[in-house]
Amino acid sequence: MNKKGVIIGVIVAIVVIGLIATYSSSASIETVNLDMGRTHGDVSTAMGSPILGDPNAPITIVEFGDFQCHACYNWFHTHKPAIYENYISTGKANLVFVDLAILGRDSSIAAQAAYCAEDQGKYWDYHDKLYNSQESKIDNGWANSESLKNFAFSLGLDMDLFDSCLDSGKYTKRVQYNLSEAKKHNARATPTFIIVGPDDQQEQFQGGQPYSTFKKIMDNMI
Amino acid sequence: MVKILKLVFSNFKYSLLAIGIFISMLIGLLILSEFIFITPYLAAHIPQGTEFGFSLIVILSGLSAIVLPMNIYRINILKNSKGKMGGSVFGSFIGAAAGACSCGPIGFAIISTFGSVGATSMAFLTNYEIPIRIAAIGLLAFTYYTTVKSLKVECKLKSL
Repeated sequence: MNKKGVIIGVIVAIVVIGLIATYSSSASIETVNLDMGRTHGDVSTAMGSPILGDPNAPITIVEFGDFQCHACYNWFHTHKPAIYENYISTGKANLVFVDLAILGRDSSIAAQAAYCAEDQGKYWDYHDKLYNSQESKIDNGWANSESLKNFAFSLGLDMDLFDSCLDSGKYTKRVQYNLSEAKKHNARATPTFIIVGPDDQQEQFQGGQPYSTFKKIMDNMI
Repeated sequence: MVKILKLVFSNFKYSLLAIGIFISMLIGLLILSEFIFITPYLAAHIPQGTEFGFSLIVILSGLSAIVLPMNIYRINILKNSKGKMGGSVFGSFIGAAAGACSCGPIGFAIISTFGSVGATSMAFLTNYEIPIRIAAIGLLAFTYYTTVKSLKVECKLKSL
């Protein structure tokens, strides 16, 4: 009887630890996107980035962007940190990046490279690496295939996997799908944002707008 | 130089025109370059590292507001040639075009319409935004100098 009690106790402990681990991983920063029917409001984000932040957050910020876009770069460095600190890390909002890779010939391959990094659980690290490495000139080589592989190497990714993913063009159609989704939602500038609230109410606007704009919209939604 | 400026802008119509050009060009370029947003809320910001670009927009708008009315004055009052007017309009236009970032709605429309040719030209305007604006300011400054010089001569001749 005592033995049974110990076994049941161990099983219960394992289940509890498993549940805690599951819960803490769902609240972690990066969630791999495995949901092919994923939508936020009326935006299909199925082919977009993994969700940054808590997937169950009441608000989702959908960013249509290009890794070569200067306005996206400015927003990433100037306003995103405050949004991350006050809304994403607190579980009030999460963020999905959907490619609107149109600005130059290297834009699409940069977007594909980010998904190759996602295969190894490092989408957001790679995303951040690209925006930290962006140079002032579009298509000057900072985001060509060779540079993208160097970024992957610097993040410690498995280079055999990454190279074969990038060279095979595995995610070409994924990036094209995202572009068509952006067009479907009249995203006519990079970045364009759609903020989706708890009752699927949506606010769409263009440009790398300041933190104050996001705060007003999201505070109204919560 | 100051005399010529006084001569042109003592006329209320030309002062008003200068103010109109300055405000509309400044606001237009600041919106195009995403320093000002009007939807969903009115918001303004100067992201770190874009201060120089912002200053160039202010200088460009100021110079256009001075040079364009001076050339209109030459044409209207002195019935003179329109050659210098072309230089000032061209300078203002080039400076404004440099502000139309390829990531903005205008750039996006051009890329969507003209495909890779549009993308290449918009990438050029974005990549060389600062040098193009400086060149536009140089052109406007040169036009200002030649306009003042010719106004000096033309006004003397008129008064004779």
